[in-house]
Order: sequence, then C-alpha cells, then structure tokens
Amino acid sequence: MRNEIELEGIIEDYLNGKLSETERVAFEQLRKNDPTVDHKVVAHKVFLDALGEYANKMDLKAKMDRAHAEIDVERLTEALRPHPSRIINLWRKNKAAIAVAASFILLTIVTVYSIQQNTKQIGSVELVSRELTKIKNSQSSLIRIINSKNTPKNVKPANFGGTGFALTANGYLLTNLHVVDGADSVYVQDSKGDSYKAKVVRTDSQYDLAILKITDRSFSPLSNLPYRLKQSGIGMGDVVYTLGFPKDDAVFGEGYVSSKTGYNGDTTQYQVAIPVNPGNSGGPLLDHQGNIIGVISAKEKQVDGATFAIKSKYIQEALNSIPNDSLGKKVAFNKRNSLQGLSRNKQVQKIQDYVFMIKVYK
Amino acid sequence: MSNKLSSSVPTDREVVLGILNDSEDTLNKLYTGYFPMVLQFILNNNGDEDDAKDVYQEGIIVLYNKIKGGNFELSSKLKTYIYSVCRRIWLKKLSQESRKTNNVSDFEDIMAVEVDLEQHEEKDQQFDKMNDALVHLGEPCKTIIQDFYINGLSMQDICEKFGYTNTDNAKTQKYKCLQRLKKLFFQV
Repeated sequence: MRNEIELEGIIEDYLNGKLSETERVAFEQLRKNDPTVDHKVVAHKVFLDALGEYANKMDLKAKMDRAHAEIDVERLTEALRPHPSRIINLWRKNKAAIAVAASFILLTIVTVYSIQQNTKQIGSVELVSRELTKIKNSQSSLIRIINSKNTPKNVKPANFGGTGFALTANGYLLTNLHVVDGADSVYVQDSKGDSYKAKVVRTDSQYDLAILKITDRSFSPLSNLPYRLKQSGIGMGDVVYTLGFPKDDAVFGEGYVSSKTGYNGDTTQYQVAIPVNPGNSGGPLLDHQGNIIGVISAKEKQVDGATFAIKSKYIQEALNSIPNDSLGKKVAFNKRNSLQGLSRNKQVQKIQDYVFMIKVYK
Repeated sequence: MSNKLSSSVPTDREVVLGILNDSEDTLNKLYTGYFPMVLQFILNNNGDEDDAKDVYQEGIIVLYNKIKGGNFELSSKLKTYIYSVCRRIWLKKLSQESRKTNNVSDFEDIMAVEVDLEQHEEKDQQFDKMNDALVHLGEPCKTIIQDFYINGLSMQDICEKFGYTNTDNAKTQKYKCLQRLKKLFFQV
C-alpha cells in the first residue's frame, strides 16, 4: 500500500517534470523493465489530461455563466422571439430570397420597359395636333362667349386643336391635314380671341397640308401679310422660331434647324430643335428674319426637341397645285418681307395677328 | 436585428489574441456580443432561451479549443464561425430529440464546421465521462481530488481543510479516492 502511494507520487512528479535528472533516468529504466509501471504511467497521463480538460471547461463555463448573468436575456428573448404575425416571420426567414425575387422582378420590368421604349422610338412620330380636354374647353369657351361679339352659337367645346397661319389677307389659312382631317366643322380663333367659322377648301395628303378659308361674314380682311415664303438657303444651325397654340394662348418657341431631313431621312421635312406640344401642328416656322421656311407637323416621341417641319418648298408646291378657281385667285405670297431687321419681339407682335388657333369638331 | 449588437463586439483579431492570453474581459465582450444572434436562431427554431444558453456556451467552447489548439486561421468572420457551429450543434440536438427540424430559419451566413465539431464531440465524451466519474465518486473524495488536481492545493492544505491528523493520512485518503475515480473513469 505504501509502495503504491509512493509509486503514484513518483509517476505524478515524473509527468509534471518534477523529478531530478538522475531520478528521471532511473524511473524511465524502471518503466522499460516493468510493463505494469509503464501501463500505470500511460493511464495516469490520460487521466490527468482528461482531468485538465475537465477543469478548463468548468472554468470556462463558470466565466461564461458570469457573462451570461449580465445579459438581459428576458428582454432579448422578447425582442427576438418569432413574431406572432406570419407575414413578419416569413419576411425575417426569407429576407434574402425576397430580396433576390424583388430585384429579379425589378430587373425584368426595367428590361421589358426599355425594350418597349426602344421599339417605340423606332416606330412612331407623334402628330402634334391637340386633343382638347372637355373641362379646359368648357372654361375657355365661356371666356370666348364673353369676349366674342359674334359667335354665341359656338358653345360646344372643340375636340381637337391645332395652329394655322394666314396665306392671304382675305382669309385663306394653311394648316396640317391631320389637324382638320375628318372634321365636321372647323373654327379658327385669332389672337384677340375672336372665333370665325372656316371650311376646308383644299387638302394635300402627300405633304400633310390643308388650306382653310374663313367663311364667317364677321371676318374682316387682314392687312398685308408681314412675312414671305423663303424656299432656299436654310442650313443646319439656323435659328428658327414658331408660334402655336398648345394651349389657349399663343406660345412662342425658339430653336434651330438640327437636320435638313425629317423623320427617317424624309427630304420634304426639316428636323428642328424646338420643344413643341400637341396643338403646335400647323404652326409657321420662321427664320430669324421672319421668313416662313416651313410648317410644324410632327415630333418624335421619346426624343426631346426633335420636331419635324414641312419645308416651305412643298408649301409652295401645294399652293401651286391648287387650281386658280378653287382659291378664287392665285395665291401669291408677298415678295417683300416687312419683318426683316426687326427685333424678335417686334416680329412676333406682328405675326401673332396672322397665326390662328384651329378648333375642330369631329 | 442582428446589426445593432455588433457595435460593442471586439474585432476578430482582438478576440483571438484575448483568448490566447486568457483574457476574461475579451471573453465577456465576445460572449455578450454574439449571444443575441444565437438566441434569435434558437428561438426561431423550436428552442427556448435555456437551449440558447447551452448551445451558445458549447459553441464558444468549440471556438476556444480551436484557438487554443493553435490551428485557427481567420478564414471567415468569427461571427459566421460561431453562428455555424451553434447552428450545427442545435440541429443535431433537435434531431437527437426528434423534434421538428424541417425549414430551418437562418439569419446569417453559414460555413462548414463539421470537422471541428467531430473533434469537439470526442472531447465532450471525455468530459462527460469525467463528470460522471466525479459525480459517482461522492464526497469527500470529489472535493479532495478537485482541490488537489484542479485548484492546486498542497497536501498540507488538504490535511488542514479536512482535519486529517497528518499528511500521510491525507495522502492515503487521496490515493484511495484517486484509485476509485480512475476506476470509474476508465470503466465507463
């Protein structure tokens, strides 16, 4: 018994490295010679290691328990427990999946939308005649009743609107065919707000032009036209302007010739950079000297400021093709331009008496 | 939820160095820092806060042993490691108790930790064996053994503490206790 205790003491000291050098050598010799002793040493080492691990883990657990005691577990539990609402749970659980799905849907929408946008851009030009809203017009027609001396009959609001300008002093106007196409009746309104009945006397579907004649008896002839038709010498970058009726008052728009051809290279048109809106159709396009160089007819959808105007050359052609008798007398533009040299606002002041709002009832 | 808790958590490097230096402060910060993350996981997967405590402490021990073992490389965030380990431990527990495990609710990234956990399970078995053996050993043997081997008391201290007439008596007593404990430990 005593020997056993002694032996164990030595084994422990040996394992802990507490034996002196000679003792250690002697003990190792004993271990070699006596398998029982060797077995005891190995077993004791395994045991002590396990005990050491045990001690470490207990120590760590104790430390963690102390740390744990400082945490307000109850409050955390309350905050983090599964939410009673299924939706919030679903959201918490599938945040990532939902995010992926959402971005996929968004991407799809954007892609589809941009594809559609592209096809639209290739596909269409928008004619800038104006579809008037009923409310707007019932208001404006009220105003017109007050202002107008002679057209109390015109109370029904117009469905479509456009712009036209005087070709002759005696009441011939030029506008776009698409403005008056299929019209039951056409009224024109001058800058003072007076409305006159007009009729379509001539159409030219090739160039999208129409000639109106004011038939109203209350119409008194205009004074001489201030502008003339200029048929050549217009180049890219030339400053141009227009006057039109995208709303119930004339609106001035200025820009420049951006291309000598129109939509898809159409040589009968210019492309001009002027912001226009529905209602500008049929408006005159003038250069900086006040010469008429074209008629606003369309703009490209989705492209800002890409407006198309029919070249003045084709205005003249359209006029020429009209037989003399249908217009009463041959239409001839002024050879003189009384606007030349005037400042822009003076020009506009003079021109606005010759630009009309076209109101179409269909 | 889990974002706002990371403010007080020390950086991963600080944690590793702290553990290697046995810093209790680091342990406290680490422990309080990541507990809500594990608590949230357990609460949302059929467990309660006590389960969370057990699983989390188990997970921290795995981390400790790995760092202390010297073969720890910061290949991922510590947060991911702890989460993955605790997740694995909890799912295993659930399947052992044959509780419902389908549709695990996850809140963090996961990494592979199977190898570490296998090593941990071996150690855990040793620990359980030792624990069982000590429980079966009974008093006063258990305290004597713990005092001598764990708390580092000398035979003289033990002799006085337990009122033995001399150290030889104490030594004999300790020897008897140790023999019984060894028998219990290697037997189980």
